[in-house]
Amino acid sequence: MSTFLKRNRIRLIMLAILAVLFITAAQGMEGSDWVITTLRGLSVGAVIFLVAAGLSLIFGLMDVLNLAHGEMFMIGAYIGWTVYVRPDSFVDMVTPIFLLVAGFVLLPVWNALLDRLKLRQKTAQIWPWLAIILAVFILYVTLVRYPVSIWDHEVYAESPITYALALSQNLLVLPEAPIFEDISPAVALLGTLLGGMVLALGIAGLGHRKQQTVTRTPINTRAIGLAAVLVIIALLFFAINDRLTAQLLATSTTWRFFLAMAVAALSGVVLGTLVEVTAIRPLYDRPMYQIMITLGISFIGLEMVRSIWGRPEFTMPKPELFAGSGEGCPAESIGELLANKCSTVLLFGSRVRTYNEIFVILFGILVLVGIWLLLRYTRIGMIIRAGVQDSEMVEALGINVRQVFTLVFAMGVGLAAMGGVLAAPSMGLSNGMGTNLLLLALIALAIGGLTSFPGAAVGAILVGLMQQFIIKYGQIGINLPFLEEPFKPSPPLVPASVVLLMVIVLLVMPKGLFGRSD
Amino acid sequence: MDNLLEVRNIHTFIGQFHILENVSVNVPRGSITVLLGRNGAGKTTTLKSILGLTPPSEGEIIFDGQEIQGRRSFDIAATGIGFVPEHRAIFRDLSVAENLKIAERKKGDLARKEELIFDLFPDLKRLIKLPGTSLSGGQQQMLAVARALVADNKLLLIDEPSEGLAPVLIEQMMAAIKQLSAESTVLLVEQNFIVASQLAEHYIIIEEGQSVKAGLIADLAEDKETVYHYLGAA
Repeated sequence: MSTFLKRNRIRLIMLAILAVLFITAAQGMEGSDWVITTLRGLSVGAVIFLVAAGLSLIFGLMDVLNLAHGEMFMIGAYIGWTVYVRPDSFVDMVTPIFLLVAGFVLLPVWNALLDRLKLRQKTAQIWPWLAIILAVFILYVTLVRYPVSIWDHEVYAESPITYALALSQNLLVLPEAPIFEDISPAVALLGTLLGGMVLALGIAGLGHRKQQTVTRTPINTRAIGLAAVLVIIALLFFAINDRLTAQLLATSTTWRFFLAMAVAALSGVVLGTLVEVTAIRPLYDRPMYQIMITLGISFIGLEMVRSIWGRPEFTMPKPELFAGSGEGCPAESIGELLANKCSTVLLFGSRVRTYNEIFVILFGILVLVGIWLLLRYTRIGMIIRAGVQDSEMVEALGINVRQVFTLVFAMGVGLAAMGGVLAAPSMGLSNGMGTNLLLLALIALAIGGLTSFPGAAVGAILVGLMQQFIIKYGQIGINLPFLEEPFKPSPPLVPASVVLLMVIVLLVMPKGLFGRSD
Repeated sequence: MDNLLEVRNIHTFIGQFHILENVSVNVPRGSITVLLGRNGAGKTTTLKSILGLTPPSEGEIIFDGQEIQGRRSFDIAATGIGFVPEHRAIFRDLSVAENLKIAERKKGDLARKEELIFDLFPDLKRLIKLPGTSLSGGQQQMLAVARALVADNKLLLIDEPSEGLAPVLIEQMMAAIKQLSAESTVLLVEQNFIVASQLAEHYIIIEEGQSVKAGLIADLAEDKETVYHYLGAA
């Protein structure tokens, strides 16, 4: 015990100072304000944590600072919004997307086939580009002709904003489902599948441009199986499209919200895998290029969201479970809360919003515990912990570390995307939400010690609390001994205060609160 | 003679540096073979090149009848090669038990090898629940060797097992390596010629990235001049 104290002396002192500061913060405000501000801080912290956790695992394990992580959070939010508010568009898009992904799932097969092929230098240089151009052409013909009932950015009455508004007032009327017009469904389906395959083949070919020898890599039958499953799912969705949409519209928004989260997380996993395999993996020898490419991907993500969803800012109505405001609300007990699905509860004499200040925090805790259990008690967790320290040694034990890299990257992006959906009802959707949150998550990581998982959690909570307390003091003012008037921090001081917190922590502990001193 | 491992004329670059300029190593099955040479001669790089951690750009490596050069490290290791690196590379965030468990390639590997491991290193049994950080240098070395024994490895690559250990621990380590060589073939890197000459049967001397001399260590021990010339001291 005493060695524990000795070893963690500075860390404990630092945490004690922060705790004292936190308690003193209560002196300037009423008890109920303090409770609410703390809960808000924790809630913001929970959202930051969902982004920071993946960021820290990815950075720790593979030394990749994924600057696209914030945009992944944003993309998750927008995908979740679509499932939630416009399930018809979501169902329409599943088929083409699954067909496309099926082609990419076959990447190991393409690689194995190309390993067996010996081409002349010139041919090997040129054909991948020709394949990619051909694929883009095929997809241009087929993909844009899918009958996806989407909103119209130009017409305000059919914009995302109006749909969200209509849903929140239970007035949602969706436009009629379109049908295939100048292309037969069979051609569109086959074309998309083929286009995806040729595109993936071309990308695989780019990696084989300098191949000298022929190797007989075994063909990955699991990839073929998975691709077949994806194609079957795509066809299934195509077959039951209308019925599924009707079914989704009939379910309560609570279930639709959880479905939105699951879909966003899954999309994040798929997106993360694609990004890792095609963009990050070829660049492990060149870390600087990796950072540049993640930055590039973040811009691409941002522009994609801008062009698909159009309007810069819109809201996501809260799920039914947290939206009630009728009789018996605000709830005063858990029973009442569940019975009336109240949007607010009375806690320590103050009205607390159920979704923002309770559900988000609980969800954050759930994810925290989940990841901790995964890291502590599973083989993959053990490999991740070992790999953070020395991935070369892990590889030398006979473990395919690259596969673990892909898995962790995909999981991290999935978490961020899920975090986007979690944050959407309380923070709203905007093009800037990703960049904003990435910055906060990076600061949280720096405070916590970059590669430390508990550090990411503590850092995220500290950043959230700091931000919310400064906002609160901006409203009520702090009495400072050397000032006559109460000091009200202006809004620009909010982000500055978070950075200041980081500066103070790093001055005392250059490695961050939980960083390794080696 | 039946060689478990044959390294034929490999060249390895690290960045722009040509570290190995033609190294050949034969490791007879069931023996202990030692790589000798001065600091920076390329002994560690030879081990890493075999495992593909620093992949050779030229040459062939044949392990147990199959070519392994150019494959990914995990794939090479999975053919049955265990690695004990120079600085032990014990995983700090893992307990001693987990440090062993992570080396499993099949379920139950550790359960099958437990007896052998605790027989060789009785200390580890007592330390099994401790975190990897809390071990002394000698204990870390034992754990690193034990970790290489968990999977069914036909060949063990052991880098400088005596480095930084007290004399009594060196003896213990030597005895353990001698004992485990009954089960697997060992390729050792060792600076300490006395330790090497007591353990190994075969030697290869590496000098400035080239394998310059090979043979039976018993012959080398007689030849003081060669030892002095290549290793600096007897």
